[in-house]
Amino acid sequence: MSTPRSQRSRAGTVAANTVGVLFVVVMVFPVYWVLNTAFKPASEVLSFTPSFWPQNPTLDNFKSAIKAPFFLVDLRNGLIITSTAVVGAMVVGFLAALAIARFRFYGRRALIVVILGVQLVPLLALLIPLYLMLNQANLTNTLFGVSLTYIVLILPYTVWTLRGFIAAVPRELDEAALVDGCSRWQTFYRIILPLTGPGLVATSVYGFIQAWNEFIVINTLNNPETQNLMAWLLQNQTQRGTAWGPLMAGALITSLPVVVFFLLVQRNIAVGLTAGAVKG
Amino acid sequence: MHAVESPATAPSAPAAPSTPDKPGARVPRRRRREWTPLYLALPALILLAALLAYPFGRMLVVSFQDMQLRHLFSGATPPWIGFDNYTQILTDGVFWSVVLRTAVFTVVSVAISIVLGLAVALLMGRVSNAVRVAMVITMMFVWAIPQLVSAQIFKWMVDADFGVLNYLIDKIPGVDFANHSWFADPKQGWIVITTLVVWAGIPFLAITLHAGLTQVPHELREAALVDGASAWQTLRNIVLPVLRPLLVIVTTLSVIWNFGLFTQVWALRDSKPEQEYQTLATYAFTQAFGRSEYSVGSAISVVTVLLMLGVMAFYIRQMFQIGDVD
Repeated sequence: MSTPRSQRSRAGTVAANTVGVLFVVVMVFPVYWVLNTAFKPASEVLSFTPSFWPQNPTLDNFKSAIKAPFFLVDLRNGLIITSTAVVGAMVVGFLAALAIARFRFYGRRALIVVILGVQLVPLLALLIPLYLMLNQANLTNTLFGVSLTYIVLILPYTVWTLRGFIAAVPRELDEAALVDGCSRWQTFYRIILPLTGPGLVATSVYGFIQAWNEFIVINTLNNPETQNLMAWLLQNQTQRGTAWGPLMAGALITSLPVVVFFLLVQRNIAVGLTAGAVKG
Repeated sequence: MHAVESPATAPSAPAAPSTPDKPGARVPRRRRREWTPLYLALPALILLAALLAYPFGRMLVVSFQDMQLRHLFSGATPPWIGFDNYTQILTDGVFWSVVLRTAVFTVVSVAISIVLGLAVALLMGRVSNAVRVAMVITMMFVWAIPQLVSAQIFKWMVDADFGVLNYLIDKIPGVDFANHSWFADPKQGWIVITTLVVWAGIPFLAITLHAGLTQVPHELREAALVDGASAWQTLRNIVLPVLRPLLVIVTTLSVIWNFGLFTQVWALRDSKPEQEYQTLATYAFTQAFGRSEYSVGSAISVVTVLLMLGVMAFYIRQMFQIGDVD
């Protein structure tokens, strides 16, 4: 991992540790501050001398966030939209990934370029035509319309990452199965699918995070009754800019599933973007 | 049943999913024309065509038209005005100031992020285990926080009246920062925005680069030390060259991401950024949805994509060169 300890001065390590701890303090401060704020009563939040620990910890902020208009509706919407998008992208993406990882065919390279390129185009750049299209198709203000755009939002990454997981399953296994009399379908069903299981979980969790965090598209396409929690958070901010306590509590609730999921699968996340660059 | 055995293979997948099949397997086994892969890719292709290619074509068309709110409601075809939208924005001083601002922000924020990210990655190799674990855990949390949420946390921290930042700075003797507004002066506002972007970007960079650093062979570093190379020389001549492909990739990605800056500005400026805070992304959005100038907004988006095209092509070429893609 690192150079032998003997070659390093103790003072050097102490200095490095000090800088490291300082770094941690600076990085963690905003996280600490949102927690600190969320549990404070309103009187402590709006104080000119902020306390660095809630004097009278309370759950009031969380209660008022949950009771705020559209919170529960948008929570439900978010869950529906996100799961639709993830399931859709996973099914479609897995098939495409299988094609790229297991077959050589005409246009394969072009397909890879498209997938890689599309991953880089921000959905925001296409927001105007998407809005015009969905508006024409009467799909604005529906959960289905947003779900469709979210499938496309997460599809490129899904294909790209799954391709890696499938490629990691030794081809010899496929061939052995074929020799043993499995059909193509059985090979897929009995060999590739179970062996890529963990990869499927990681990829769908990351898709969930991306779809859950999106707010610009949904905020443009839909009304509050058909938005998600992120859009709710944005609206909430603009309407009641100074209700910081409930806002921070809402922010905490909204990010909780994402943070938990992220920590579970973080090992796999950077892979799709930088894979190959970190080769041994 | 198979699922039980899978962990043996699967955990290695994330570490190197890129590893192509073993050298011998690269040669295609079957040469006869195969339709199966096309069937498999078809649903994805249809979706991408319908929801990415078609909208992109539509955007091109709209950018040559004069589309207003009434066309949206009546469904009438907007009049074709050729390059007028492009002429309008390209001769508009405001547009160029937005381009310049976006470019300057991108260069500055990416430079700071990469330097700090690399510094943190190197630091992770020097600290003791406990500190490194603390650093990784902290960065994981920061990385996991949704962009919109972190923007709001920063907005709260720099709040003029009750923000903790003003309170802390005000504590410095002789400094009066009570009720200081961070966004009245765009320079200060952009410092806040850049800090937020860098803070949120460091975890990905530092953790990725640290992983890359562990690939630098020990022997090389030790040989350099024995030969009397200074720490700086070792970094410049040994570590950086090994790290180069990874640095190129993460820099390219950072450029693409930061050039598309939207969320942070949007949240910090209450969904209505002032002129001095507009980036290409917010500007196109404001033109289209704030002023119902869908055609002008589309033209701006097209120009933005064109501006990014070079960087994106570079990224894709890089991925092919590294041999990850095959």
